[in-house]
Amino acid sequence: MTQTTTEQATDISDQGQGTPESAEHKPLLEVTDLKKHFPIRGGLLRREIGTVKAVDGVNLSVNRGETLAIVGESGCGKSTTGRAILRLEEPTGGEIVFHDSELGAVNVESADRQTMARIRPKMQIIFQDPFASLDSRMTVGRVIAEPLVINKVLQGKALRDRVAELLVEVGLRPEHASRYPHAFSGGQRQRIGIARAIALNPDLIVCDEPVSALDVSVQAQVINLMEDLQSRLGLTYMFISHDLSVVEHISDRVAVMYVGRVVEIGTTADLFYNPKHPYTEALLQAVPQPDPRNRLEVVPLKGDVPSPASPPSGCYFHTRCPYAQPICSEETPPLREVKVDGKATGHQAACHFSDELKLKGAVVSSIETVPQTASASQAAGAPSA
Amino acid sequence: MTDGPTDTIVSVKDLEVEFPTSLGVVRALNGVNFDIPRGKVIGIVGESGCGKSVTARAIMQIIERPGRITGGSIEFHRKGSEAAADELLSEPEDKDAATRSGGVDIAKLDPNSRGMRAIRGAEIAMIFQEPMTSLNPVYTVGSQIEEAILLHQTDDKQQAKAQAVDMLRQVGMPNPERIATSYPHELSGGMRQRAMIAMALSCHPALLIADEPTTALDVTTEAQILSLMRDLKSEIGMSIMFITHSMGVVAQLCDEVIVMYLGRVVERASVDEIFYNPKHPYTRSLLRSIPRIGAQRQEKLEVIKGSIPDPYTRLPGCTFHPRCPDYMDGVCNTIIPAETLLAGPTLHTVRCHLYSDNNEGEPDPLATEGASAGGQATDQADKQPAAASALKA
Repeated sequence: MTQTTTEQATDISDQGQGTPESAEHKPLLEVTDLKKHFPIRGGLLRREIGTVKAVDGVNLSVNRGETLAIVGESGCGKSTTGRAILRLEEPTGGEIVFHDSELGAVNVESADRQTMARIRPKMQIIFQDPFASLDSRMTVGRVIAEPLVINKVLQGKALRDRVAELLVEVGLRPEHASRYPHAFSGGQRQRIGIARAIALNPDLIVCDEPVSALDVSVQAQVINLMEDLQSRLGLTYMFISHDLSVVEHISDRVAVMYVGRVVEIGTTADLFYNPKHPYTEALLQAVPQPDPRNRLEVVPLKGDVPSPASPPSGCYFHTRCPYAQPICSEETPPLREVKVDGKATGHQAACHFSDELKLKGAVVSSIETVPQTASASQAAGAPSA
Repeated sequence: MTDGPTDTIVSVKDLEVEFPTSLGVVRALNGVNFDIPRGKVIGIVGESGCGKSVTARAIMQIIERPGRITGGSIEFHRKGSEAAADELLSEPEDKDAATRSGGVDIAKLDPNSRGMRAIRGAEIAMIFQEPMTSLNPVYTVGSQIEEAILLHQTDDKQQAKAQAVDMLRQVGMPNPERIATSYPHELSGGMRQRAMIAMALSCHPALLIADEPTTALDVTTEAQILSLMRDLKSEIGMSIMFITHSMGVVAQLCDEVIVMYLGRVVERASVDEIFYNPKHPYTRSLLRSIPRIGAQRQEKLEVIKGSIPDPYTRLPGCTFHPRCPDYMDGVCNTIIPAETLLAGPTLHTVRCHLYSDNNEGEPDPLATEGASAGGQATDQADKQPAAASALKA
């Protein structure tokens, strides 16, 4: 366990955080060997009888201005990773280096209160449930103003003006500030959550399933808004999601997690069309294609995710992996660079056989586009207004 | 639309459901028409508040109070003989629910009547989105399945027990004997949904209504459940009414599709027609707004402008007109479009003025009394979440 994680750590630092570094692709956030363990208590004395290793040695980096998606099944630790990075959950171990424009590199994991108070405004979060994440007793104006008030950035008229500006920024109206959250639909509430997150001009926003609770037609509006804000405000997103079609649309790079570990990380195109981990392949195959002529014939993955309280030996995926060999249950594969013609690509996978296996990429829908409006002939036949 | 009563298991006509609340009447269903063919999977898609779950609950007669069916009929045809109706409607007060074609009009039955109780669970079974809330946490999975069998099929407890274990095996549970003695909290989400399916199928229903059964599950588990339902359908030969908001799931599982918007069916067709030849502007917009894998990712996603109006707003004419890209002033906002059967070999119907020949449809009395309502509705938030959730339920 310990040995493999150090291996992973050195592997990563040797390879320059897994991405070819260039002037414009400076990492904003570097996470090394991040761990978050929850104790299981039991018995009369509530003694610790085990640990749930929700996040167990996660290595990843997020470059300035990009969107890194984290995907995986429920319970894989993707949300806990996001929360641990913001120290909403106190990490058990590891390093979280945030490159701040003023303070330089700060290790968030061990930062003291004063440093945290200065770093926190730069790292914000958008939550999944727009109905639970807004205080129903606060007006929308107060919800959005709260981060500005707490950090003593603005007050009085300047504060009210900024709130109005933020509302417009996310596609709402300034007069909405005096209303309460219950007067808004799910999509509008998520816009309020976004306005609150961008109020302090953050660098990084952790987006924890921001569109999962929304209807499809509204989901598209929120995704477009997030992309728009990213390009206008230079935001960096860490986009946690289980919906791979949304992830392909929004992200530059993707990390796949399984039972508390990153099993594959790479650019969206590499990961979707040239996956190097059998788990990624299975996830991609399982996406229900919106195309009746492209039906899934075989179930890509049987069984359930193992419990993070008692994970299997070796590679955690070997119990469900169709390509498993004896070595898979004995040795934990480190996250290694996938080399193309001997060159590093920034694409990493934690599989013993990532070089040998020929894995299937995402299935591309045969439906190119759906015409927006009825065809001219039909429209002409209908009475004109 | 029907090929005769023997080919349809449930035929819904002009169904209307209302929820009277202190803030006004919510018209959850506004004249819904469709048939469920025997042995087919029919998908009902639409966004929240479109009435898809209310439709399912109306068929089961489990609409939450104060909601009630205010009009229309739900004709249920049992497999085989016409005597079936007499058998189900043994009580004198249920007799008037019998239809001329030998079916049973569920809308006429009292929710607590003997006839309805004989249909619910045994003839038509239902599974829900949240398996954790639909299973009783203090009884074992096995005893909950036995309960259904004892109620409808046999009095022999040993036989019921054996049958329950057999059902669990049939839905692909590993070690069904052990699962039967486990409690719901000991099972994973996917296993719980399998247990729910086992319970629903234990009485060999002719129709299974599945209300978003995979929405709370991961894609890999979802794929397992969809494949299980496909297998069971062909093995048992039942019909499935599958309610979902996911176009992907519809494409993967269904034979026929009904698209609903604000309490009306706007389009129905075979699954291939819906995806390759969608006609209604709402169906097109829905299909355009979903991100597809492999589509040009740098492009912006299409959006349907505005949002779903709150349930108290009553829109004149076609309810989609404030959001419609093909909106025709003077037509769409005044006349409720009639259902038009499109020419061609397939039964493809659409409820839109673009396809009706001569503006057929009833002029909407609302159009004259509240002309301004339509314009505002797009931007209105769900003012009353309580009512919104009533609609969803």
